[in-house]
Amino acid sequence: MGEDVAMKFTSIGYRHLISNPTWYNPLKKRKGAGVSHIDLTISKGEIIGLVGTNGAGKTTLLRMISGILPLEHGEVTSNGKTLDIDALRSLVGFMPEQVRWSSQQTIHQTMTEFAHLRGCSIQSALDILNVVGLKNRMDSTLDALSQGMRQRLSLGIALLGTPSVLVLDEPFNGMDPVAIDAFKRLLRSLARKGISIIISSHHLAELDHLIDTIALLHRGQMLAHGTTDALQASLGFEQMTEILSDKEIEASLLETMNVLEHVQTDHEHRYVIESGQPDLLETLIANNHRITTWRVVPPTLIELLCAATGMDRASIGMDVEQSSMIPLRTIGGEEE
Amino acid sequence: MTPSKRMWHLAFALGRRRLFSTRMLIMLPILLLFIPGMAWGFSDSNIQLPAEQVPTNATEVMFLASIGIVFAGTMAAVLIAHDGISRDRASGVLEVRLSQPMSRQRQGLVLILGHWGSIAIPVALLLILSMWLVGYRSDMWIPMSDALVYIVASMLILLWYTVFALLASSIAKEQGSAIAFSIGLWFLFTLLWVLFTTLLAALNGVAVGDTQDQGYLIFEGRLDLLSPNGVYHHLLETRLDGVDRGVSAFGAYAAAILWTIVPFYAFQRRLNRLVP
Repeated sequence: MGEDVAMKFTSIGYRHLISNPTWYNPLKKRKGAGVSHIDLTISKGEIIGLVGTNGAGKTTLLRMISGILPLEHGEVTSNGKTLDIDALRSLVGFMPEQVRWSSQQTIHQTMTEFAHLRGCSIQSALDILNVVGLKNRMDSTLDALSQGMRQRLSLGIALLGTPSVLVLDEPFNGMDPVAIDAFKRLLRSLARKGISIIISSHHLAELDHLIDTIALLHRGQMLAHGTTDALQASLGFEQMTEILSDKEIEASLLETMNVLEHVQTDHEHRYVIESGQPDLLETLIANNHRITTWRVVPPTLIELLCAATGMDRASIGMDVEQSSMIPLRTIGGEEE
Repeated sequence: MTPSKRMWHLAFALGRRRLFSTRMLIMLPILLLFIPGMAWGFSDSNIQLPAEQVPTNATEVMFLASIGIVFAGTMAAVLIAHDGISRDRASGVLEVRLSQPMSRQRQGLVLILGHWGSIAIPVALLLILSMWLVGYRSDMWIPMSDALVYIVASMLILLWYTVFALLASSIAKEQGSAIAFSIGLWFLFTLLWVLFTTLLAALNGVAVGDTQDQGYLIFEGRLDLLSPNGVYHHLLETRLDGVDRGVSAFGAYAAAILWTIVPFYAFQRRLNRLVP
């Protein structure tokens, strides 16, 4: 991850207008859910995982970063200069969640059209088809594309004009595991070239081994942004290790470790313990335990959110109705 | 390539796509029937018209045949443009378009020019064919200046309906509403306007439906300035002799300019605020 800042968003916000009819004004609208006072610094070549539950404001934030929605307040800067919305759009490539490309237009014609919209050369647009693996299908009509190919086309269009920030909204939806793997490798290679990537998901596991930092969004507010380790440390998360053993761990040994979970099945015992005991594995093997699994367990999105907001699972669970206008607890800050 | 050139290129590509689309193939026979077909019919020397009107020159024949533009041309414009935005919005493509650096004003112009071009070109060709048919059949040839006014006015009414349809398409959240909005607007100005005019005339104590009553003609003429079809006919009437409906040529031109600018502005404003 590079240290140079590609783009910086300071205190940006947007609230959607929702219908609020009255008898004298049936078209009346009022401000509803949205995102508020988001600060986000994007380093060059950084891959940020934007995570949050349904309705957290991920898509709204991504649309703002892409210049589709205006910034109602706050500003965006790049190389020390404040950007207007047109300049912002020229620096950002956006791939929305599932575009249903369909018409008798070919991939070649579509790329040409978007090259004109983007203001880049047609040759560069055709070169990008090679990058996303659609070069051999460029004469196929959009109607003939599978979902995976449509995703690739969306990515190809997002890459037009060599953007410095690539914004991807739930890009893995509808992709098979092979395509996801290829997609992740492509994203990593783009990041190595200095392109910053923001990728949204509501599954932390999906972003495993891909992202450099996590940005945690909940009810329209950015709760935290940092590396997974830093986030866990600031949230007071202990690293957890999952152990699968063929027999129960001796009571004397259990006393020396903090067991968070123990599940017994017919054939094995599953333990989740606090990490930080380097000799434990050796001791277990010496005691004739057959260890089939030993892995560090990453926190789930729910656990992160619970830790970050101070809420319990039940409060976070299905409550996606409203953005919170009351500041939630922020990491490293004071609880309000 | 400059932004303007890119814009023209995109508009041309969009127009070509729409021009060779399936729906244009479906509409072409209708346009053929209504535009050259009407001109052929009205140029018949034995034609019997209501109120014993007899067209005495090619301009009058073309004026009568303009009903084909009002019915079929405008309907075709609406059918071509009604999903210009709503289709992309439903599929998610609109989001991709709006994230591109080309300004929304230019993208709006691309939509207008592309859709309008795709209907204006075949209609203009059919109008030229109609004028030739009238000349061929009745040996009355339309003067070049009248032909020019006729074609320009027809292109303008197509432009207005294209912009209305795109505006409706930008407001509608899905295809069904976009069709309902656009067809509803077409229905209002093409069919319901007569009812609206007579109702208002009756309320104002004017002799309703008496085409010989000057008071009614003037009332109707002025009210027609509020309808694109009415303004279209006012523009055509500037080339006819002995027509007085209380609106000067200048008034007709001014109304045409307003009917061009106001929906244009409304559409661009709408596009600037559009949330995909």
